[in-house]
Amino acid sequence: MQYCTACQKAIATIVVMDLTNGAVSGSQHVCAACAEQLGIAQPKLPPKFSPEMLEDLLGGIKGGKPAAARARAEACPGCGMTPTEFRSKGRLGCPRCYEAFRGELMPLLQRIHEAQTHRGRLPSRAEPIAPPNEDRTLTDLRRRLEDAVRGERYEEAARLRDDLRRAERGEESKP
Amino acid sequence: MSKKRGGGGSGGPPSGFRAGAWLSGTGPEHDIAICTRARLARNLQGFPFAPRLQDGESRELYELVTQRLRQPGFPEALGIVDLEPIDELERSVLVERHLISRELAASRRPSGVAVDQGENVAIMINEEDHLRVQVFAPGLQTEAVWRRAEQVDDALLQRLPIAWSEEFGFLTACPTNTGTGLRLSVMMHLPGLVWSEEIDKATNVAQKIHLAVRGLYGEGSRALGDFYQVSNQITLGRDEAQIQADVFLAVSRFVQWEREVRGALLRDAARVRTLDRVHRALGTIERAQILTSEEALGCLSALRFGVEEDLIDDFDTAALNRALLLSQPGHLQRHTRERLKPDERDQRRAQLLRETLGCAP
Repeated sequence: MQYCTACQKAIATIVVMDLTNGAVSGSQHVCAACAEQLGIAQPKLPPKFSPEMLEDLLGGIKGGKPAAARARAEACPGCGMTPTEFRSKGRLGCPRCYEAFRGELMPLLQRIHEAQTHRGRLPSRAEPIAPPNEDRTLTDLRRRLEDAVRGERYEEAARLRDDLRRAERGEESKP
Repeated sequence: MSKKRGGGGSGGPPSGFRAGAWLSGTGPEHDIAICTRARLARNLQGFPFAPRLQDGESRELYELVTQRLRQPGFPEALGIVDLEPIDELERSVLVERHLISRELAASRRPSGVAVDQGENVAIMINEEDHLRVQVFAPGLQTEAVWRRAEQVDDALLQRLPIAWSEEFGFLTACPTNTGTGLRLSVMMHLPGLVWSEEIDKATNVAQKIHLAVRGLYGEGSRALGDFYQVSNQITLGRDEAQIQADVFLAVSRFVQWEREVRGALLRDAARVRTLDRVHRALGTIERAQILTSEEALGCLSALRFGVEEDLIDDFDTAALNRALLLSQPGHLQRHTRERLKPDERDQRRAQLLRETLGCAP
């Protein structure tokens, strides 16, 4: 627990971090009242409707496309998990989610662990292990195909479908 | 020959009963620290984490992992239990023995657990993370369980494409496990702190130093029978040695605190109340015809306290630990070989405890 660096009286509940090239270069612990005075935090106001929220609400009526397309753009390229799903489940969907949701993940890690980077053992890189067996290729292809269809990238989807058919027949895929 | 009751023979455990580390009643500080567990969360590259894993993929993952665990040279001799064909009752038996989590028991996807003969190493497959390694040792042995878990981890890293990154360490489905993926927990018996109403204070202190205090069966479970699990919450930004030292130090202080309050409970005017409590529990176990799970755990806790503090010498700790396990609903029903309604269970529980502890009918 830390006291507010501004008033030195209240318990600090907000950590302000300075980022330089993506790395934390400094931090300041402040209480909610000082944060508001310093203009760091907004006073709590009832939520306003943003154009995006309105769009989401109207999504069903308008055919759902704009909101759905936006969610896709922000979804994890590895597994298709959307930021909304990450927020509601509190779980990541695959290793690539760590990059895809970096913006939300970093403050979360800071809150949970009071740290953002690993210190501890790691596998020795001398013996990397490739994801095994041909079934994996099939699964990967199927997932990429689904992604492409979901992303409406039809040319890519057609190519992946052909690759998948060839792979299922046991042929090599063409580059 | 020991005159203690419940030390085997006709009143002993049912056949096929193997004692896991947490039952033996041995190890450093075993009067208060029942058992230490290391848990590692690991995931495989090339598969989505559990929340995005399709049924076909979890089957594929299960096959891959079990095949690799069977390869020669693994540091532990493991038997693999496929959970798919196993019914609810047998699953609850595994939960009560701490070999699988309640979450895994409730899961309907292809899953399993690889367990060693002594029930000291268990690797859950397709839990919240693809792999959850658990290593147990009796008493307070944080370093020993971590060393053994590290060996298992080395073997897994040689056999499977484990997901990790330089920045975040081992990648887990939940950000609360990211980094080392290591959760070290010590199962503690803290009747002194509970009876002298200092347990809330102790829990608050633990939380301030980033330790979680939970009930007997982990997250969300109640602290029945004065049994608690104390574990590290932080897994990122500290290395394994530091986590191990932190948990060891904190638990050692808890042990000391528990001993001090026990001392106070056995002095002056408090002594007779404490003795009364222990002997009432003994009377209940010997004579009661109906025992709920909660009451049984309360009595067993008081008896354990009485044995550890030399107030009674009727039982040994291992027998009481066994009784504790056998009074759980899953074990109770398996032992009687029939499904029982709750009130039938309470009756059978009273009977089984008398038998297990060698009390007169």
